[in-house]
Amino acid sequence: MSASPVWTAALASLLVAGSVAAAPPAPLPPEKLTSEPLPPVSPHWVYVYDEAFANELDGRLVLFDGDHYRRLGQIDAGFNPSFNLSPDGSTTAVATTYWSRGAHGKRTDVVELTDNRTLNLPQHEIVLPTKRATTLPTLFGIAYSSDAHFLYVAYVTPAASFGVLDPAHGTVLGEIDTAGCVLVIPHGPNHVSSLCESGRVLTVTLTPEGKESGRTLSEPFFNADTDPAFVQGIRQDHGYAFLTFLGEVHEVDFSGAQPVFAAPWSLVTPAEKGHWRPGASQVGALQRALHRLYVPMHEGGEGTHKDGGSEVWVFDSASHQRLARWPLQAALGSRILTLEVTQDPAPLLFVATVSGDLAVLDGLSGKIRHVTKHFAQTPWMMLTP
Amino acid sequence: MRSLDQLFEHSSRSLARRTSRRSLLATLGGLLTGTAVLPLLPIDRGGRAQAAETKSKTPTAESCEYWKYCAIDGYLCACCGGTSSSCPPGTGASPITWIGTCHNPADGRDYIVSYNDCCGKTSCGSCECNRNEREKPMYRPSRNNDLNWCMANADSNYHCSVSVILGVAEK
Repeated sequence: MSASPVWTAALASLLVAGSVAAAPPAPLPPEKLTSEPLPPVSPHWVYVYDEAFANELDGRLVLFDGDHYRRLGQIDAGFNPSFNLSPDGSTTAVATTYWSRGAHGKRTDVVELTDNRTLNLPQHEIVLPTKRATTLPTLFGIAYSSDAHFLYVAYVTPAASFGVLDPAHGTVLGEIDTAGCVLVIPHGPNHVSSLCESGRVLTVTLTPEGKESGRTLSEPFFNADTDPAFVQGIRQDHGYAFLTFLGEVHEVDFSGAQPVFAAPWSLVTPAEKGHWRPGASQVGALQRALHRLYVPMHEGGEGTHKDGGSEVWVFDSASHQRLARWPLQAALGSRILTLEVTQDPAPLLFVATVSGDLAVLDGLSGKIRHVTKHFAQTPWMMLTP
Repeated sequence: MRSLDQLFEHSSRSLARRTSRRSLLATLGGLLTGTAVLPLLPIDRGGRAQAAETKSKTPTAESCEYWKYCAIDGYLCACCGGTSSSCPPGTGASPITWIGTCHNPADGRDYIVSYNDCCGKTSCGSCECNRNEREKPMYRPSRNNDLNWCMANADSNYHCSVSVILGVAEK
């Protein structure tokens, strides 16, 4: 039997159409393997300190873009590090510890300086005496002088002191005993303050060579027995604010040779005092131009000062008025462990939770813009440039 | 009260004495031996809100709610091959410590406990526990649990933490 011409033509059309539909797309072009450069610096970047507590040799700083909700890169940070940024934001200084055989062997304490424009492996390092304080991160484990001429590193052996470093020449200039007072709060080109158990501030003045030329001890500004101050200071225009366990705010002006203490004010009403309190790994962040102070707060008694915030309370740091309560534990499903705010006119508030999630919020309205689940293992501190 | 001059003179002398960590530890060790219940120095780690989010219903030595752990911060050695008062095999106990007082509901007594770190291997990673009854910031090291108290060990890496009964607290 022979097919009719009509059916033959139809079959031919289908075959042609089928062959067109099945034609593979054009092959992808060969790729060139490169290393991605960092995009131009944005005020909406944040450095997230992940202590990696479950495998503590592996701390790292993750640079995150709050506009595009993506990781930009990483700075390795070793064991229980301290870190800070240079005054111009161009360099990250990490003070850390390594052992020659990974988790054991010869101990080396070192400061590593990373170029924030490239995140290339550290090109400069300064080997320290093995005295570096290994503790919770604060702004005061390692810090630059205002002119970046000196780097200061807190030592605890457990005797307390600090190292004075010359970052330009990669040298340790000396060690200053601090009589039991701890951490390095830099002010000006040559003053370093430390917090004392007595509630006082010890201030050491340095010569241009980094040697001690004098020291003073302030009057107490807090009482470690009745209402201790957190050592996690909050950066202000002219100094730092220190919160106490019960919610007092002590603002200390470090713009001069000696610290000047403002009259304290309170985050809580008399009725709230002792019930609501600040608590977290990073206990506050200040948007300096807008005078917005963000504090993780929770309900709890003595011993809950590291429990993390169930809410973030927003204050006007000029008028001391509470502006808002944001119930973020309910929204994010975990308590607030760390927070930081950007310093531009449209600020972002970064919030990290006990679960390791990282949320990006509108800093003015509190609206949650994005949540990255499982961003870090133990995000204990954040820092914006 | 000592004058500032006296204080600073003392500081200078104490710095001069700190010619080696070993000599300082010898001094501290002597203090500990002589006054076993006096607080000396804390241990390590970071404060996270672990206790607030991981309540255990069975307060055994492998539970953060166990009574002896009222101000501990770190990984429980009982979950890492040790017990609540012994280090896991192959790790070394920190010679310096911080001291707290915890209430034992089983006998109604308050006990003075020593929180020591076990050192020399990387963090255990099991049974993280952070409780902070009467805990203070690092300017009061005898009541602080943030510092790494393996710092003075020859192998100063932090592995886990224990709570050792020193005696009944006098009322």
